[in-house]
Amino acid sequence: MKRPVVDVRHVGVTYVSGPVWSRRVTRAVDQITFEIAPGETMGLVGESGSGKSTLGRVCLGLTPATEGVALFENQWIGPKNKPPAGKLAVVLQNPEWALNPRLTVRTSVSEPLAILRRGTRKDRFDACRRALEMVGLDHSFANRYPHELSGGQRQRVAIARALVTEPRFIVFDEAVSALDASVQTQVLNVIKDLQQLHGFAALFISHDLAATRYVSDRIAVMYAGTFVEIGPARSFYARPIHPYSRALSASAHDPEAGAFALRGAAEDVSTLGCPFALRCPMSLARCHDERPELRDFGPTQVACHRAEETLLEERQ
Amino acid sequence: MDAGRNSILSQCSKAMRADPLMAIAAGVLALLLCVGVLGPLLPIGDPTAIGIGPRLAPPSPAFPLGSDELGRSFLPRVVGGILVTFQVAATAVLLTGALGAVIGLIAAYYRGRVDTIVARLADALFAFPAIILGLMTASILGPGDLSVIVVIVAATLPLFIRVVRSVALSIASREFVTAAEVAGASPVRIMAMHMLPNLMGALIIQFTYALSLGMLIESGLSFLGLGTQPPYPSLGSLLQLGATYLAIAPWLVFAPGVTLALTILAINLLGDGLRHAIDPLPGRALK
Amino acid sequence: MSEFVVASDLAIEYRTPRGAVRALDGADLRVAAGASMGLVGESGSGKTTLGMAMGRLLPSNARRVAGSLSVGSQSLFDLDDDGVASLRRRQLGFVFQNPMSALNPTARIGKQIGWALERKANQREIHERLQQVGLRDVPRVAHAYPHELSGGMAQRVVIAMAIARRPRLLVADEPTASLDASVRGQILELIKSLQREIGATLILLSHELSMVARTCDVVGVMYGGRVVEAGPASIVFNAPLHPYTQALLKAAPGAERPGERLTAIPGMPPVLIAASVGCSFAARCHLADETCRRTRPEVRHLPDRQVACHHIEAASPRGGAGALDPS
Repeated sequence: MKRPVVDVRHVGVTYVSGPVWSRRVTRAVDQITFEIAPGETMGLVGESGSGKSTLGRVCLGLTPATEGVALFENQWIGPKNKPPAGKLAVVLQNPEWALNPRLTVRTSVSEPLAILRRGTRKDRFDACRRALEMVGLDHSFANRYPHELSGGQRQRVAIARALVTEPRFIVFDEAVSALDASVQTQVLNVIKDLQQLHGFAALFISHDLAATRYVSDRIAVMYAGTFVEIGPARSFYARPIHPYSRALSASAHDPEAGAFALRGAAEDVSTLGCPFALRCPMSLARCHDERPELRDFGPTQVACHRAEETLLEERQ
Repeated sequence: MDAGRNSILSQCSKAMRADPLMAIAAGVLALLLCVGVLGPLLPIGDPTAIGIGPRLAPPSPAFPLGSDELGRSFLPRVVGGILVTFQVAATAVLLTGALGAVIGLIAAYYRGRVDTIVARLADALFAFPAIILGLMTASILGPGDLSVIVVIVAATLPLFIRVVRSVALSIASREFVTAAEVAGASPVRIMAMHMLPNLMGALIIQFTYALSLGMLIESGLSFLGLGTQPPYPSLGSLLQLGATYLAIAPWLVFAPGVTLALTILAINLLGDGLRHAIDPLPGRALK
Repeated sequence: MSEFVVASDLAIEYRTPRGAVRALDGADLRVAAGASMGLVGESGSGKTTLGMAMGRLLPSNARRVAGSLSVGSQSLFDLDDDGVASLRRRQLGFVFQNPMSALNPTARIGKQIGWALERKANQREIHERLQQVGLRDVPRVAHAYPHELSGGMAQRVVIAMAIARRPRLLVADEPTASLDASVRGQILELIKSLQREIGATLILLSHELSMVARTCDVVGVMYGGRVVEAGPASIVFNAPLHPYTQALLKAAPGAERPGERLTAIPGMPPVLIAASVGCSFAARCHLADETCRRTRPEVRHLPDRQVACHHIEAASPRGGAGALDPS
């Protein structure tokens, strides 16, 4: 068994905010454990406030875990001990600010190599050209400035910049969310092709289950800082098991989604018992008292007291 | 801030074409500066030659702006005054700009306690009135150009720190900065390559405002006798002279006064124009 | 049914320092009174311009260069300022994308609801309005400032304000784009039910096809400043005729089988600087030929829909059903 690229064990992130007399403690990430194998793309689906971006930042060593341990290639990472430069990369949401407006595409894409002081300037520019080709942009783009590019093109340049050092791990944090529908698919296809070509491990964070399952091998669904379901992407094409996953899947694609409408609002998080209990259409008394653990159901793990019933229903 | 532009120069030239007032202001300023810089070369006379003419004489062909109490032609003195006032103010403001930018960048990059301390110190300095500061400094360092520079630095440093810090804070949260951090860029590299170039616009605008403030401070201190010392002329000390002899030679007050007002107005209009070009406020008349 | 909103060959340009941008290039639309129409389009399609034009809410650099637009029986571009103000007050309600910027951050919610109502409203009425949009703990919400509410709650307040005077036309521009996925369904349901309750005509602008299919009876697909296809939602989505609609449905992730590759539409949406010669989708269309590049397709009114394409017979309905039916 190859050792995992990213190994996260019982990680929690707690924020303390507010003035001294009325401190607020927010638990952004709550006891998360998972691994990402080399070459594997793990999807992380959740809404704003679910903690998915925070978890992404922990994996990059940008945010410290207040509990637990985050390992990159078996080394402990955090803001005070960053992983070696060039092994990690990130592609973020906003194409408008993905690139430094004052630098040409060539300078932006070759910067990670310049930081590593790898090769001569010519070598770096060659690497930049190759990276641009891989994302489907021809070399005439190298001399342009960001404002001359469309949103989709900027995201592609951001992806090229992420690839140029041949990293072991890339985090895509809502990388396609701000793009037009037709451009989204173009960029998703670019990502899929690069996964084949390059073999990097990746964490694909998104609120869109459909886009995530298109590019991921495995998917974890996150709610209020914990994983409620984690399993192979295939199983998210059929009906997922956890009620929250089902609601996400339904609201995205099925016009007759009425059956799985969620109640309440995103802030209705129950602190005792299952965090989803207040909004769940199938919650029982037990759900409000007892917090469900992640349990195995074949290749999938689900944290729901009624998972068995859901599975039985499926089979009928 | 618009992610779309890539050259301060092109923004400025575009702005000048769109806003005639700003173009005029820039022209006036350039003219005044040229006159000041070329002063020694122009056939207007020697600013320090004493006694070449009658004392306190009104304007005449030989003495276009009249003569002062020591018989010096007033025109070259005013021209010299422009240069001196401008030089002192510009030197001080350039220094302050550089210092303020560095401090502001560090505060914005490191945030947390560093940022809080810097912000509070800047506020404290800002709260101090410039003239009091001037008197204090002059009493320690003695009157002269150095004192004036120190006061201008103290008075305009908080402006630069504030502006740089606030723009830098918003830049620091941008995606390309995070990407550079993840790629392993050092703090210095991020500040110099990613943050600084993107706040040049705000910095230049602040520079023009600080310059006009600096010129006012220089003139004010010179007026009180704490600034540029004789025989070098400064618009402020010339004004003081004019005030003293107002009853008998009223023409002595106009030239330095008008020149100072014109210069500061031109700088302010230029600054306003630059601000509209580089950082326009969104406004939308609905139809 | 009478037609409440009629756009006829409408063309609108924006004057920018870099030249003119043609946001609408001959848009034709007919919406019956009381119907719910969804306008779907990507950036640059002109849907926002068309939606905003219905309230004369275009920026000052916008110019109508051709065509007409009428709401009720009033031709919008012929109205004077008083007419526009009166129209906005009595006939129109708008819901925008970002609730936080639609609400005044310095006033409490209750006060803002009061402003939206025509006359002085007492507390009971204000609370009723807030209840009508499904808010709980109404007294707390009425007393709160906008920043104290979540996105979903704020959007409900905005909706309450939009329908306060029972407008005849309700325009919602991407009303759920800045909200969480789990709340979107609720907000759309709310808009729909309120629209029916007050008998208004609804125009919903969105870039998301599935949302529009769920919420609206009628759908209009916009591309390059024109309405390329419009008709009942089920017909357009299950059997799209225009190549762009077909391609859009095929390209969206959600309906593909595991491991299947999606066909992305090559190229980018156009930015028009003048009236387009020929069909604006020609550059990206697999059916495009010389006619398409030379001649603008006229809007054809078929029995079940309107469509603007030279190749209607060739572009037989296909590919739409799969998009709606995740089996």
